[in-house]
Amino acid sequence: MTTQSTLKRDTHLFTAGKYLLLALILLFLLFPLYWVMITSFKTNMEAYQYPPTFFPYNPVLDSFVKLFTEHNQFFVYYQNNLIVALAVSLLCCIFAIFAGYSLARFKTRWNAIFFALLLVSQMFPVISRMISLYAIMGRMGIINTRGGLIFALLATQVPFCIILMASFFANIPKDIEEAAFVDGAGRWRILFTIVTPLVKSGLLAVGIYAFLMTWDDYLHAATLIQSDALRTLSVGIALRYLGELSYDWSLVNAISIIGTIPVVLLFFFFQKYMIKGLVAGAVKG
Amino acid sequence: MNIKRIATSLLVLTLAFAPVFAAGQAESAQEGPVTIKVANYALLESGYEPFWKSVKSGFEEANPDITIEWVTAPYGEIVNQVVNMAGGGNKVDVIFGEIDWVPGLVDTGLAAPIEDILPEAFINDFYPDVLKSFEVDGTPYGIPLYVSPYVLYYNKDLFKQAGLDPNKPPKTYDEMLGYAEKLSKLKDKNGNKVYAFGQTTASVPVSGASLSAMIFNFGGEVLDANGKLSVDNQGFRQAIEMVQLLDEKGYNPQNAKLKDLRNLFALGQLAMYYDQSWGFNGIKSINPDAVNFTASAEPLVGGQGSGQSLLQAHCFILIDNGDARSAALSKFVEYVISEDVLSGYLRDLTPAYPAKKSMASMESVVNNGILKGASPAAGRVKVQTFIPRISDLNLELCALAQAVSVGNEDVSAAIKKFKETAAVKISQ
Amino acid sequence: MKTRTLRRDQRDGLFAFILDIPALLLTIAFILVPIVDSVIKSFQTYGVRNIISGKPGVWNDFANYLYLTKTDAFSMATFHTFSFVLGVVLVQFVLSITLALILNTNLKGARFLRSVMMTPWVVPTVISALIWMWLFQPQYGLVKYLASVFSFSTVTDFAILNNPNTALTGVGIAALWKQIPLMSLLLLAGLQNVPQDINEAAMIDGAGKVRRFLSVTLPYLSPVIKVSISMSIIENFKQFPLFWTMTGGGPNNATTTLAVLSYREAFVSMNLGTGSAITTLWMLMMVLVVFFYNRLFRIQDMG
Repeated sequence: MTTQSTLKRDTHLFTAGKYLLLALILLFLLFPLYWVMITSFKTNMEAYQYPPTFFPYNPVLDSFVKLFTEHNQFFVYYQNNLIVALAVSLLCCIFAIFAGYSLARFKTRWNAIFFALLLVSQMFPVISRMISLYAIMGRMGIINTRGGLIFALLATQVPFCIILMASFFANIPKDIEEAAFVDGAGRWRILFTIVTPLVKSGLLAVGIYAFLMTWDDYLHAATLIQSDALRTLSVGIALRYLGELSYDWSLVNAISIIGTIPVVLLFFFFQKYMIKGLVAGAVKG
Repeated sequence: MNIKRIATSLLVLTLAFAPVFAAGQAESAQEGPVTIKVANYALLESGYEPFWKSVKSGFEEANPDITIEWVTAPYGEIVNQVVNMAGGGNKVDVIFGEIDWVPGLVDTGLAAPIEDILPEAFINDFYPDVLKSFEVDGTPYGIPLYVSPYVLYYNKDLFKQAGLDPNKPPKTYDEMLGYAEKLSKLKDKNGNKVYAFGQTTASVPVSGASLSAMIFNFGGEVLDANGKLSVDNQGFRQAIEMVQLLDEKGYNPQNAKLKDLRNLFALGQLAMYYDQSWGFNGIKSINPDAVNFTASAEPLVGGQGSGQSLLQAHCFILIDNGDARSAALSKFVEYVISEDVLSGYLRDLTPAYPAKKSMASMESVVNNGILKGASPAAGRVKVQTFIPRISDLNLELCALAQAVSVGNEDVSAAIKKFKETAAVKISQ
Repeated sequence: MKTRTLRRDQRDGLFAFILDIPALLLTIAFILVPIVDSVIKSFQTYGVRNIISGKPGVWNDFANYLYLTKTDAFSMATFHTFSFVLGVVLVQFVLSITLALILNTNLKGARFLRSVMMTPWVVPTVISALIWMWLFQPQYGLVKYLASVFSFSTVTDFAILNNPNTALTGVGIAALWKQIPLMSLLLLAGLQNVPQDINEAAMIDGAGKVRRFLSVTLPYLSPVIKVSISMSIIENFKQFPLFWTMTGGGPNNATTTLAVLSYREAFVSMNLGTGSAITTLWMLMMVLVVFFYNRLFRIQDMG
């Protein structure tokens, strides 16, 4: 009887501890987001108040209005980021279909080397290749072009995306292709009309992953783009904030929110594929 | 057959992305007979953009055959940008920047002597002492728009609250410490701490320049006339000890960038601080009311020094891109550094002193209330010796200031370490 | 029959190669060649002048590497990098596995929590740096306020990024915030793959919670753990934007990691040769770490 009740008490304690831990970790992960949001609704003078207010006593949309009316350049960065991220994610899917299929289906020695190359290439820090990249791209005449930036970013994302895609292709039973092959279908037709439609969800995961990672880029755009009309978001934000003369914290917080919204929405809409994809890519890859 | 189809679709794809490439390249295409490329970080900073846009439209109107193309990057990255572009075969014609950027750009072989591009008569109108600050091996490599020495900004309201005379700013560091003791007891209206005295120490080259100015206040030096490291002087040590003392007493906001100091000052949480004269624009953009409580004074006198300070100036650094562009560039420089163009700018945006003799009596300078107290400072500037790696040296100075303040290191040990590291850095 | 299969093998190989070509060219041109090029540059005097004039660098008898031995900057940066990686990866693993284990119990709303918790992961790095800089702001920051409240006003000047002893931790917290979600997600997925019947069988055998975790769950989870930790090691070893935005390597160089040092040397001091020497050693260290890490796991798998 007594042991039973101690056991019960232990379980209760355990459950309580569990919830407490959960609450603490979630607080750590989510509270900063709340904080950014409320700061963006504060006036600058209130943002600079100490002790800080946990709810803006006078919520205003000033910083958003200012962002939309005065800082038009922000939306140029925004649009550029969107174009670049979309292009990279699209192209990434195409590259990943080709090479991913090849890696999953043909276990040649050549492919083993290729796979190792892809794994290794993810390890190198961006800084170490930036200067040489600049020289190479300069020779190709694609410095300070959106296309050049897209290719440089594509190369960064492609290795992981291929490995991710390969893990999806590997799940497709080979028999399906064999049957089509016997029927006399060409390899390309098998790839595009039979196999690829079966990995749509994987493709979506790859596309979204590439989009998210490209949206996050800072170093490439900072080095490879020089004209303001072609700059992307992170660099744009960094210069708005890091510029010696910008102090507007409410505005910075508003920018943070607007800059994050598309990726958050994208993630929530497609999280089923994303999560499946990430797990597949990381765990099986 | 199938491969053909793939090839076709790839081709279509390439074509679909062609506009993407084209969009980028169209920018570098020349539009008028001559296009000059002006690298200007200020276009990205609110407050300065309208001025530079009006410069462009005004200049292009006066010179219909010349087009200005802006090249922009953040303050901290524009030199990089210009160098990277040059590496790709794309040289700008002029960089709007700081005096400290000159030696680095000369070292890269980009900067051209101003005499090669600008007419002699125009150059002769500048104060020779000021031009001297731009010399590398006896040749000036940059032309100042205006001179903005370090000044001591102080808050008259806080002085009054502390029972100090708002018209009697401190003259020496000892006096300042006495004032600071009273000022540091104040709280602002939200109950926040008031910092007494701000000296920037964050790891950016401009903070290092500001620290050099402070060392000059104490009669010390960082480099000798030959550009060799020279830190075994009393002034250098005293300035570093002062940085430590300011931190121990809690007078100086830790690791602050100039913009952090401007921010605190604008909000009434910092009583005195060193800044270049143009920094006032930053203060005003946070709190327009700051006009009413801001006053300026000369840099303080420390130790055996005479309160000398470091000359700072926004300048144009020119690059030679052949005769046609040089001629257009010369017109541009002469257009900008003139009373007509700079008058409103110096009055409303950037309190500073003209660098040209013919502009000395400009109304907007003579009657500038913000600068009144600091006027003598403009005459007591010391020229920093130029070395190609001045930015590295400045960053090491910041590290030294941080070591004795937030790092709680012993002054002698920290200076010893600075000497070793800086010597290696500038030797490269 | 035999010749046919052989031919098909060859055709397979050819087809596979053709499929690889686009990605291969891209990877070689944009990753491999620049890497090799930077290793070469690390043995040369190569500065801005070379970029502008297009002149090749000059072999300089390891001067770039010798330069690194003249000050303690490189060794300190290495130390900071390893401390950062070790600290972040360990804490991250502990918190992530805790979160994953809790979410794996039949908790109400676990699915919802799982998707909400992912938000920090999608926040762009530069923005997450800004978020934490704002929280850590030395005058008006929330963290300063909380520190003063929880210490009953004994700590009134808490500025984590301004103190050389705590700045690395400050950046680490931002890194944890952004990275914990992904690791939790991966571990959670791994946990969900642990077969329930084995777990139940162990329960019937009278194995306690801890026992069951150690002898059933952990072995099943170990491949996932291995991968997620190695991802985290690589990511934190490479971390740059967080440092550059939040501290720039300061105060007193306390957060100058290899990433910051190489960027500063190459792109601020414009000394590309020395910068390349740092990145070369940095890459070497990373390869070694990953190699030994894999070895360690292999030995564990055997045992």
